[in-house]
Amino acid sequence: MSHLASANTSSAPLPQTPSTRFQTPRRLFSSLEGVFNDEVFFLILSVFIGIFSGLAVVCFRLAIDWMHLALLGPLPQTHSWRLFAVPSLTGLVVAVLVLRVFPGIRGSGVNQTKAALYIFNGFIPFRTAIGKFICAALAIGSGQSLGPEDPALQIGASIASALGRQLQISREKLRLMAPVGAAAGLAAAFNAPISAVLFVIEEVIGRWSAGILGSVVLSAVSSVVIVRWFLGSEPLFRIPVTTFKRPTELIAYAFLGIVGGLASVAFAKSIGYLRPRLKALPRWTQYFQPALAGLLVGLIAFLGFPQIMGAGYDSMDQAMHGQYAWKILAILAVLKILATTVSFVSGTPGGMFAPTLFIGAMLGGAVGDLERIFFPHLTGSTGTYVLVGMGVLFAGFLRVPMTSVFMVLEVSGNYEIIVPVIVANTFSYLISRSLQPVPLFDMLTRQDGLILPSLEEDREETILRVEDAMLPVPATILNAQEYVDANARRIQDSPDSTFLVRMHPSGWNIISRDQLQRLFQEGKGELTLSSVLSAQSLPSLYPDLPLDSALRYVNDYPLVPVVNRANFRQLEGVISRDSVFKKYGSGRAIEVTSPN
Amino acid sequence: MSWTFPKLVSRSAPVILLILTLAAAIAFAAVSHLVSRFTADQQARGRTLYAQGLADAGASRYDDAIAAFRAALTCDPTNSQYQLSLARALRDSNDPRRLDEAESYLVALWQRSPQDAAVNLALARVAAHRGSIEDATRYYHNAMYGVWNSDPDSSRSKARIELIQFLLKKGAPDKAESELMALATALPPDPASHLQAAQLFAQAGDYAGTLAQDREVLALDPANLSALAGAGESAYRSGNYATAQRYLQAAVNANPEDANSRQLLATSDLILRTNPFHSHISDAERNRRITTAFAQAGDRLTECAQQRGINLNTTPSPLSSLQSRWTAAKPDLARLRSPGETDLPDTIMDIVFQIENQTADTCGPPQGIDLALLLISQKREAASQ
Repeated sequence: MSHLASANTSSAPLPQTPSTRFQTPRRLFSSLEGVFNDEVFFLILSVFIGIFSGLAVVCFRLAIDWMHLALLGPLPQTHSWRLFAVPSLTGLVVAVLVLRVFPGIRGSGVNQTKAALYIFNGFIPFRTAIGKFICAALAIGSGQSLGPEDPALQIGASIASALGRQLQISREKLRLMAPVGAAAGLAAAFNAPISAVLFVIEEVIGRWSAGILGSVVLSAVSSVVIVRWFLGSEPLFRIPVTTFKRPTELIAYAFLGIVGGLASVAFAKSIGYLRPRLKALPRWTQYFQPALAGLLVGLIAFLGFPQIMGAGYDSMDQAMHGQYAWKILAILAVLKILATTVSFVSGTPGGMFAPTLFIGAMLGGAVGDLERIFFPHLTGSTGTYVLVGMGVLFAGFLRVPMTSVFMVLEVSGNYEIIVPVIVANTFSYLISRSLQPVPLFDMLTRQDGLILPSLEEDREETILRVEDAMLPVPATILNAQEYVDANARRIQDSPDSTFLVRMHPSGWNIISRDQLQRLFQEGKGELTLSSVLSAQSLPSLYPDLPLDSALRYVNDYPLVPVVNRANFRQLEGVISRDSVFKKYGSGRAIEVTSPN
Repeated sequence: MSWTFPKLVSRSAPVILLILTLAAAIAFAAVSHLVSRFTADQQARGRTLYAQGLADAGASRYDDAIAAFRAALTCDPTNSQYQLSLARALRDSNDPRRLDEAESYLVALWQRSPQDAAVNLALARVAAHRGSIEDATRYYHNAMYGVWNSDPDSSRSKARIELIQFLLKKGAPDKAESELMALATALPPDPASHLQAAQLFAQAGDYAGTLAQDREVLALDPANLSALAGAGESAYRSGNYATAQRYLQAAVNANPEDANSRQLLATSDLILRTNPFHSHISDAERNRRITTAFAQAGDRLTECAQQRGINLNTTPSPLSSLQSRWTAAKPDLARLRSPGETDLPDTIMDIVFQIENQTADTCGPPQGIDLALLLISQKREAASQ
């Protein structure tokens, strides 16, 4: 804890000159410096990151709207040449910018932020923010089937990183700047601070601690405040009446989860298949890939489905209010998967959040309407299924189960549907996990040749615990209140060389056969064991602790007692250095022999 | 790069924060300027699109209107007028799938401003489209007692009239009638309003109310043809034939081409001439009318039986039974002049009325005196006044 009172302010008082009128601010500063330790400073910095990210995202959203108006016009047009000409030509411009001016802004930006955290010590060039801003606004505004959330996340992270570098903060803190900025950017783009915080914790950082959580929350909240200040607090969707009356209807939502899980796998696999193949094509083709993607998206729109262009929030809103028949909803879901896949794999900068929500919404509405045809007694409205569908794709495709639940709740503001959301998301997540073991973001990182920690794998990894390496309770346990000679007699028939000693009134100690025999030979047989042993107790462990926690003791003590949490005098077993390393050895063997 | 965060912070954290605050303030001001300019542009664009939407809606091009209103809303998402207009266009497009969305917009507007009469009226119309009497009544009432931006009295009356029309359409005349009562007490002294109220009373089957409203019209405009004819018809329908005769006569005099009034007048005359229960006739006249009615009923019975191929003497049927009763009662006619036979006129006329009702059921609506007798039987109470 660095407490301040720095020498140059306290030890060098200002001379009493006419300029002493400046003494007051200086004194104020020097007294304020006492308030700021590095943790407090980082928290305050998080608020500023939120403010700057929020302002940037406001401009980003205006830029997208402006581009859309300028390029496609205010009124939706069907069968207009603009629908395919604009995304194609804009695709060419974006490709040139990405390949020539702003390298490293391809894709969504989530991976780049994660890479900044784990590989580049929190470094994201500020140029990335500028490039992402311009190119994503151009691409999304011209109708490419991508969303603004992930770019906003990267813009936030980039601003935070640049700010951290300017302030020369520590390497440890600088690493955290990127996720803090990412949370701010995502929260501002999504107008949903809880989901943004959860996503960053769940997908980018992967761990909870008070310091990180505080910074992430502060930045997310301050960015949302800024966005709401400028753009209003209107939600992304007008939420219809959502109902969940009969528990039996959970079967219908589970079915939606299954369909959503399968769709997620199809979506992820199509991206995973096409992306490396397009990247492997000659470099000159990359100038045309975004244009071709734009042409395909535009043709789909030209042929009667302009809803798939851009983020598609308006269409989601309409789907939520039952504006489309189930066949149209199903077609839109399929076409959006196709359009987003080609837009994304072509290297056009843009995000996956909004398309994921779109596909989920359409799929949810289609499944819900179809189910009601066969089971007219189902009471869930189309809007309810659309909302649940959004969460289903989020859980299955982006593989963020916690975020997916809270996202639906935060967007809908309705806790009545929490049970259907959890049920459907669980099915979707499990199906996606079983059919597509590597999550999307991890797959993209590996395709880019980076090895980042897979947070889902970390979550799902089987942790070795103390109980796994625990040896049975030794047959001979010595009592500290008994005499040395009595204890020496007790160990005569034991094959062990080291013995645990139960201390009074609590605690454990340890003594070796040699030590005990030496005490006996030294004529200390009539002393109690407690009087000759060190007063310092042996550390003890609990069976459920990670085995890693045993490592710090097993080198110093030949035996470490493992005790019951409810009754620490009750011995559950012991661990030794050999038992721990044997367990790690067997774990490695399993890891090595298990394929993939 | 030197990683000297603690030193830097301890030396200059307040300065850094001050600089950041200044930078944030400058950025905030710049973004404010940008947003306000963009918003102004968007609002101007929104107004153009809104005007286009209104023109489309006015020409019943609802799909175009919806697209224009939606686009206007993307320019100015919080504009209540745009939302209201979009909701109205969605509702009026006659696509049931769009009612949900219309309602969603309107409910959001209602939550913001529950006293807004226009929003409540729009919600009432959505509920009316759905056929929900309860919701529609609630929202229409909210609209009536809500805040109107212009011409509140007339708007409230119109809202109530709309509710009444909806209730009548949904087959809830009792509820409509109670609304009509309330409407009648608050109508302005304007013949057109009273005339409309009279029509609504007539649709609700409340002919007394209709007559009262037509009388209000005639008080304001004594030569109003619709009111004369309407008052005559409502009096006729309620069995008040003397009053009907007076109004219908005036209506026919004023407009000789009014065939309906002429026909109703003829029937009214006939009823007034044949009704034996009329209070202002002598005993002799009553006996004459009973005798005439009895003979007419016998003829009607015979004609109807012939028409249906029923032999009244051999084939058992309701008509045969009535023929037997008619034949049995015929000798009683002679006793009508006896002073002690106070129940006899009713007994004889009961047979007459039963014959007229039964023959109407069997052989269809009668004409002339038979029709008069049938109507007297149906409105005996009123006709005898």
